[in-house]
Amino acid sequence: MRPKLGLIALLAVCFLAGSHTLFAHHGNASYDTSKTVTVTGTVTEYHWANPHVFVKVDGKDENGNLMHWTIETQNIVTEVNAGWTKDTFKPGDQVMIDITPAKNGAPFGRFKGRIVINGQTFKSTDQR
Amino acid sequence: MRKRSIWTVLTMALILPCALPPLLSAQTAAAPPKSVDDTKTDKWNSVPLHGSAYAGVTPAPAPRRDLSGVWDATGDAGPNGPPAGIQPSGAYEHKALLPGVGNPPGGAPNEKGIANPLPYTPLGEATLEAHKPTGLGMRSVPATEGNDPVDICDPPGFPRMDLSEFRILEIVQTEDHVLILNQFFRTWRTIWTDGRELPTDPEPRFYGYSVGKWVDDYTLVVNTVGMSDRTWIDNAGRPHSSELKVEERYHRVDQDHLELTVTIDDPKMYTQPWLALNKFPLRRQPRGFDIRENYCSPSDYLEYNDQVGQPLDAHPAK
Repeated sequence: MRPKLGLIALLAVCFLAGSHTLFAHHGNASYDTSKTVTVTGTVTEYHWANPHVFVKVDGKDENGNLMHWTIETQNIVTEVNAGWTKDTFKPGDQVMIDITPAKNGAPFGRFKGRIVINGQTFKSTDQR
Repeated sequence: MRKRSIWTVLTMALILPCALPPLLSAQTAAAPPKSVDDTKTDKWNSVPLHGSAYAGVTPAPAPRRDLSGVWDATGDAGPNGPPAGIQPSGAYEHKALLPGVGNPPGGAPNEKGIANPLPYTPLGEATLEAHKPTGLGMRSVPATEGNDPVDICDPPGFPRMDLSEFRILEIVQTEDHVLILNQFFRTWRTIWTDGRELPTDPEPRFYGYSVGKWVDDYTLVVNTVGMSDRTWIDNAGRPHSSELKVEERYHRVDQDHLELTVTIDDPKMYTQPWLALNKFPLRRQPRGFDIRENYCSPSDYLEYNDQVGQPLDAHPAK
């Protein structure tokens, strides 16, 4: 009961603070859909959860600096229909992922087609 | 007695090899399914059938006054976007998209130029512009600037339940009411079919008050009032007042197909009623279909927004 109350209180505070809506998911407004970036690196986390599934990848940029990428896709039900599972990624996987990058230049992106996991191309398809 | 048994065995031994091959081949050949119920699905967390599953099926006629079953509204994924029932850019018949722009960058102040504009009153237009959606429409804003109530896990309410994230629903009928069980948010609605009148001046509800009437043996017309004006009509932020009335027309075409037509009538926000769904197709899923959860969990949202939402929309370092 207590954690629940805490959560409600937190939501209420965020609501009352009112300056920004803190909870949201993204359409295109935050992404530069004209660009494609290829992220190569090692999976550190895989979040199989709503509202959007996301994966974290550590990789180096062209100057050799370590980058912590966060790459999101749609909700679980949509991804299941596209052939994804809770086990599609696991920490330690070597991946190459094409992304639509964030407009603000932060290391965030959205899946944009090509996914290679440990040398195998993962085909995201409509499984229904 | 013994002799007879031997003859029986001998006769069987002769007949069986002749009879077996056709029996075996009938079992091994992939006979086309006669019903979607013959189509194999996962026993748990079933995935809705693709359109091709219906291709070889001649559906049985529609049963009389019966909508029961598990129905899929997602349809087939098109080449340019998510499946139909999800309606990320607003009600299916009035998507907040400019012609020829399937994946808009967002940020437009209003809906000027959409293919099928809505008949807003001045109040309707002003309320629309105060609603800031974050989905995939032309008015979409970055998440930190949005105010979609569903983004913070508020209930979508009705009719948004039909007009966004519309995927799987189960319809259960009893003697005096129909239950619609919806996958998104695991919500349900009760549609009374016992002849009662709609309430006058009801206490607002997220999902309103519904009564249904069979207008013929295959068509149930549902009228709903009393929806809280805190909810949006769809993902594009279409507004409604507490005077909203919604008519849903569920027409069972045959055993496997149901059509849904949804009409929005709210004179405060719109100068005339408008069709949100027009004979929108729903496909029956096989018996035993197990509906996967599709929740909005506040703790998942907190996690997502902490790790993705806010940093993604943070202003770039100068």
